[in-house]
Amino acid sequence: MRLFFRLFICFNLRHAVRHRWRVLIVVAGIALGAAVFTSVRLAIHASVQSFASSMNRIAGAADAVLTKPGGLVPETLMAPILRHPALSSAAPVSTAYVTSRFRPDEPFLLVGVDPVMETAFRPWGVEAPSSSRGLWLQLMAEPRAMIAADKLADLLGAGTGEDVELIHLNRHAPFRIAGIMKGGGTSLIDGGRVAVTDISSFQEFTGRLGGIDRIDLRLRSGSDPTALAAILPPGVQIDKPTAARDSGLQMLQAYRLNLSILSFVSLFVGMFLVYSLVALHGASRRRELAILRSLGGSKRLLFFLFLAEGAFFGLAGWLAAFPVGTMMVQYLLEGINETISTLFVRVHVDRLALDPWEIVLSFAVTMAVSLLGALLPAREAMKVAPKEVLSVETPLRQRKKTAHLAFGGVAAVFFALFIARISGSVPGYAAAFLLFAGLSLLSPWILDRMGAALPSGLSRIGGEPARLAARYLRDSGIRAAVSVAALTTAVALFCALAVMVHSFRHTVEAWVHQSVSGDLFLRPKMAEFNRYRDPIPPKTLKTLQKLNAPVDFLPYHRIFLDYGGVPYQFDTIDFQAFSKYGSFLWVAGDPASVYPALERGEGVLVSEVFANRTGLGPGDRYRAQIRARVLDRPILGVVRDYRTRGGVVFYSFAHFAKQFDATAVNGMRIFFQDRGPELEPAVEELRGRILKISEGALEVTAGRQLRWIILEIFDQTFAVTFVLLVISLIVAGLGIASTLAVLVLERRRQFNTILAVGASPGQVRSVIFWEGLLMTLAGEATGILGGFLLSYLLIFVINRQSFGWTFLYRVDWTSLAVSLPLILAAALLTSLPAVRLVLSEPPAMLLRER
Amino acid sequence: MKMKDNPRITSVSAGLIAALAFLLVCTAVGGAEEAGFQKVTGPCALAFPEDHGAHRGFRTEWWYYTGNVHSDAGEPFGFQLTFFRTALRPGTAEEGDALRSAWKSSQLFIAHAAVTDVNRKIHLSAETAAREALELAGVRAGNETVTVYTRAWKACIGPQDHRLAVESERFSLNLSLTPQKPPVLHGNGGYSRKGSSPERASCYYSFSRLAAGGKIRVGDRTWNVAGTAWMDHEFSTAPLEPGLAGWDWFSLQLSDRTELMVFFLRKADGEIHAASAGTFVDPSGETIGLTRRQLAVEVLDRWKSPDSNAVYPVRWRLSTSGPDLALRIRARIDNQEMDTRQTTGVVYWEGSVTAEGTASGRPVSGTGYVEMTGYGQPFDAPM
Amino acid sequence: MIKNSRQGPLIRAEAVSRVYPLSGNRSVIGIHRIDLRIDPGELVVIKGESGSGKSTLLSLLGGLDSPSEGRLFVAGRKLHRARPEELTQFRRTAVGMVFQSFNLLPTLTVLENVALPSLLAGNPPGQTRTRAEELLDWLSMTPRLDHMPGQLSGGEMQRTAIARALINDPEIILADEPTGNLDSRNAAAVVALLADLNRRWQRTVVIATHSDLADPHATLQVRLLDGAIVSGGS
Repeated sequence: MRLFFRLFICFNLRHAVRHRWRVLIVVAGIALGAAVFTSVRLAIHASVQSFASSMNRIAGAADAVLTKPGGLVPETLMAPILRHPALSSAAPVSTAYVTSRFRPDEPFLLVGVDPVMETAFRPWGVEAPSSSRGLWLQLMAEPRAMIAADKLADLLGAGTGEDVELIHLNRHAPFRIAGIMKGGGTSLIDGGRVAVTDISSFQEFTGRLGGIDRIDLRLRSGSDPTALAAILPPGVQIDKPTAARDSGLQMLQAYRLNLSILSFVSLFVGMFLVYSLVALHGASRRRELAILRSLGGSKRLLFFLFLAEGAFFGLAGWLAAFPVGTMMVQYLLEGINETISTLFVRVHVDRLALDPWEIVLSFAVTMAVSLLGALLPAREAMKVAPKEVLSVETPLRQRKKTAHLAFGGVAAVFFALFIARISGSVPGYAAAFLLFAGLSLLSPWILDRMGAALPSGLSRIGGEPARLAARYLRDSGIRAAVSVAALTTAVALFCALAVMVHSFRHTVEAWVHQSVSGDLFLRPKMAEFNRYRDPIPPKTLKTLQKLNAPVDFLPYHRIFLDYGGVPYQFDTIDFQAFSKYGSFLWVAGDPASVYPALERGEGVLVSEVFANRTGLGPGDRYRAQIRARVLDRPILGVVRDYRTRGGVVFYSFAHFAKQFDATAVNGMRIFFQDRGPELEPAVEELRGRILKISEGALEVTAGRQLRWIILEIFDQTFAVTFVLLVISLIVAGLGIASTLAVLVLERRRQFNTILAVGASPGQVRSVIFWEGLLMTLAGEATGILGGFLLSYLLIFVINRQSFGWTFLYRVDWTSLAVSLPLILAAALLTSLPAVRLVLSEPPAMLLRER
Repeated sequence: MKMKDNPRITSVSAGLIAALAFLLVCTAVGGAEEAGFQKVTGPCALAFPEDHGAHRGFRTEWWYYTGNVHSDAGEPFGFQLTFFRTALRPGTAEEGDALRSAWKSSQLFIAHAAVTDVNRKIHLSAETAAREALELAGVRAGNETVTVYTRAWKACIGPQDHRLAVESERFSLNLSLTPQKPPVLHGNGGYSRKGSSPERASCYYSFSRLAAGGKIRVGDRTWNVAGTAWMDHEFSTAPLEPGLAGWDWFSLQLSDRTELMVFFLRKADGEIHAASAGTFVDPSGETIGLTRRQLAVEVLDRWKSPDSNAVYPVRWRLSTSGPDLALRIRARIDNQEMDTRQTTGVVYWEGSVTAEGTASGRPVSGTGYVEMTGYGQPFDAPM
Repeated sequence: MIKNSRQGPLIRAEAVSRVYPLSGNRSVIGIHRIDLRIDPGELVVIKGESGSGKSTLLSLLGGLDSPSEGRLFVAGRKLHRARPEELTQFRRTAVGMVFQSFNLLPTLTVLENVALPSLLAGNPPGQTRTRAEELLDWLSMTPRLDHMPGQLSGGEMQRTAIARALINDPEIILADEPTGNLDSRNAAAVVALLADLNRRWQRTVVIATHSDLADPHATLQVRLLDGAIVSGGS
């Protein structure tokens, strides 16, 4: 063992130090990959944890929850519930996001509870119980007293005993901070931006009288919650306490998986860097390896020496990843927080908890990747024969049977396409992986064929150098094939993502312009936060309708519901008014026949996400309990919709209002009838007027702005993806460069011989260039083919499984036409080092060897 | 003023609620906020059945039942049920505001129940609480019936009887109590002094003897029971006078159809406060008020609680003069301590007792309840 | 330190051939049916042009390669049909090799280069170090113990290589064109050294070479042509 380490230091490490720049590049590459992998995982983990634990804290000790989808649970239910023998405890909970005058841009969660009943459910983090008892009673005794989490109190700049003016829609009211809660637990809900008040104060402040958001229940041991069903009025249902958390986590699931896999790619390319360098070392030091063998070193010794080199790079890279990762993770945390909060659910992570398992995982993966990268070169090193000390010539290698590999490759590709049809999110990624594996397996055969079939044609184009290059590539064995495979992978990823992103944007743009049409968008303040719970105040609505402006109104009513665990939004709109200014992007169903039926309230329209997630489509029936009644209608069509918070079901506004006795409106679009050049200033003017009328109760956004924001968000989400892609392309390029160098080193004698027999340096350079060119062409061609296949996978399988949506397939030929040659040119640059290498020693060196 | 029965912990929440009640009784919430509440400063002018109901203008109020019963086979049980009301703030309903929440209430109700199975030496307690809103708790005054309820527990005070119903996981009570004598007004027509000054007083009346019958369930077993019960109803606003360590309160029902209620306010230095008093009820229902000078108590035996290390008297010699009573009183089980230290910081003792002795020379015996506070630590509810 | 007590030849080759297979069922003949017998204490010079098979023969004798046919016994070990592990073991202890291009490991110091075969054989580092220092001292290399091969002259490198060849106390020294890359003075010195090792230290020395420098010291001269012995041998 000691010998091994001594030898490793003397033989491998000293050599590494001599060529430290190469080593540093590889270590840096691994460090980058490991840093990205770890920090992305940590950041996501933290965000998801923060959400889950926040939800768990809100759920508290509840065994079950009563809710009324689409409405409020009637508070008169409280007394009979409490008297029911199956229950040991029950507590009312209502929540709303509100802001303060001091910090109007920082919403926080106001929770209304009954302090007496709360104690069985949630320990509201007030430290010393003895001091808290009077405090809790104060909430009941004093109207608009609240207990704020310490983080919130800091944010509001107020302490115990001080007043804070809170704002909800157009209501302002002073609340007094009766106490501060801290010490973890519930004081960490929503990142610490939470305050508790008595349910009566909550109701009067928010205007949500007569009902509560939910009633938490604790059951007597051994009793069955369904026994409660008998006393529940229509519309009220019993749910698991984690229902809200689970549906939120489900929305995050796909996003998490995507980011994880993407971050893994960056580590994966590190593997390739290790491979290149260790292979280079193995090739350039062949002689020394033979010497070692001749002195009595065993095959195993050589194998492990090179494996250890790989491990060394991995370890060094992982350690170097710490400083990089530390910086990265903060930045990522912010970004991911924001993305998740904007697209899915509110999360707030201020501080990152370092999960030891994640550290262990990142170490294990980094080392595994490095060892894998060093494996092949180590095996090659093992094969160096001791007798090579006596000769310079590399013995002629047996040419492997590449046809078998190619067959395996094709089989893998077909298998991939087959797997893609299985539902679930993992098969999609498995299929992508198989696709890459398959394409990689094809590389040796392709190089083989190129070497055999092309030379005659090539010699006409590039002369003898080209022909030689093709031949050499064919004989170069696995090394060239690996580099080509890496380039194939990178190019395939690049193409596929380019196509996908372009398709996505194109489709979303179309959607945004057709379906999210409107000049002004109105909704109650913080509607998105509060899940559209509050209607537009009737007073405001009346004033709006009396507005003197040449506009059409499209009011809608949005309700957040759940279809067997699938979250969705139930939107009631006036289809006729909508069709005047906008249209849907149809996936299934004939608009001409479906529209009239929709207008008559005879059916519903569902979004693609809803259809994919629930498995329901045209012809199936949509049946949902909304408030006190059931809506049962056939599904008439499926349309595209790119909201991130679940699916959508559209129904006629008028018919809903009539049947469900619900005239409330919680959103509105405004369309200007005259769409001339004076449109924009008119929109601005009206916007200002409405803002004034609403007295702060409404958010009013210009349509153009809204559409721009939506597209912005989508663009940002893909920025990260492209950075990763560029990294993989760079690494693949490095790989080709080192492969070429290796190939040169192994055939140094031959090149020197060619020079000695009359070839010009230019011609020798040309051979190298042609080798590089052919390798790159092989990689790009296969990569493009693979890229298109992969793009189908991404758009129609992976996206569908992960998010529920698909896009219209669109290829941006222009950008492909520009970038692919660029990649080619860049790859050619990579042959420069090899060229330098081949001409670095004078041919006379030849003669020293016998 | 009598201490609220604070039960042994059955759950943290229960204890917490009890603590709330307890503190409220003894302290002013947020300072000596008596301002705004009605005060007892003189005669109470009690009339029934109206005054069985709630007096929401006063800060605190309770309806308190204890009793000693036995099953058909003669197994003895003790029970206790208390409904306690606290006004969180003075003033009643606010202006008829359309924006008024139905949850808005200034009254908090806390109920406590306990059962002592003497033979098996088991003492169980349970607790519940709710605000007076949305029919969660409160007092309903009907034609002739007053119902005091908190969640599922209730006491219906009707013209014929009081019906008690308590349902908890470990035990239940379903009892009908029939008054055998008219209500007893303590002190001066119900105006009962509890301290040095006239304002330290409450309005206080009792039903000193009720015939009890009904069912008691402990665990899976249910018994038909019969016996006697005692009822207290008291309301006031003033808190406990500073300088008092606690009190001992006795209610006894004797074999000669007389009853005795006595309370001793213990000072920090061990002396008994001059306001300590009692009431004697003769078989016809006539009452005799007893002052401090007429009362004497001597502790014969003590018991140390293994949980709280407090030392409680468990045997007494109690004597009164005019009428002349000499009684030896013994706790039926030593451990009827309520240790609510974990949640409320308060430890006290409340339990069923037996009595034996002489009344004006003639031998008498009887049962009753005793409540003792301030033994665990000086009763130091923050003042 | 060498026991010449072995009965019989130290090296015995019987109809040993080495054939290199190429693709397409063709092959190249390295050596063909060679019979050779070398007794302990001999100094053998193997002569032949390039391609005559000198290096092939030497690589077989040194356990660097295995014969395709025939029987080969070196220092009491059977080298034909020997397993790779057995060959590895053989190389550590039975022979020491000296090469034309010195073949020192460029990232190891002089001392480390010399110590390597001994450490590979599993000897304790302390003992190895002592012995290496002794050898290098004997070869006047002490001032250069911590130098890298890149800092040495040709003669110094060859002396280091010789020290390395001796560290495991092998019975046989094999030298492949040991003077090929040296000037005349150093070449003479190396040959003198090899002769010394043979006469005074009683090692069996086999030198494959073009040059005639070693001829005066040779106890046996073998000439190879196209993979076969044309003179010498047995």
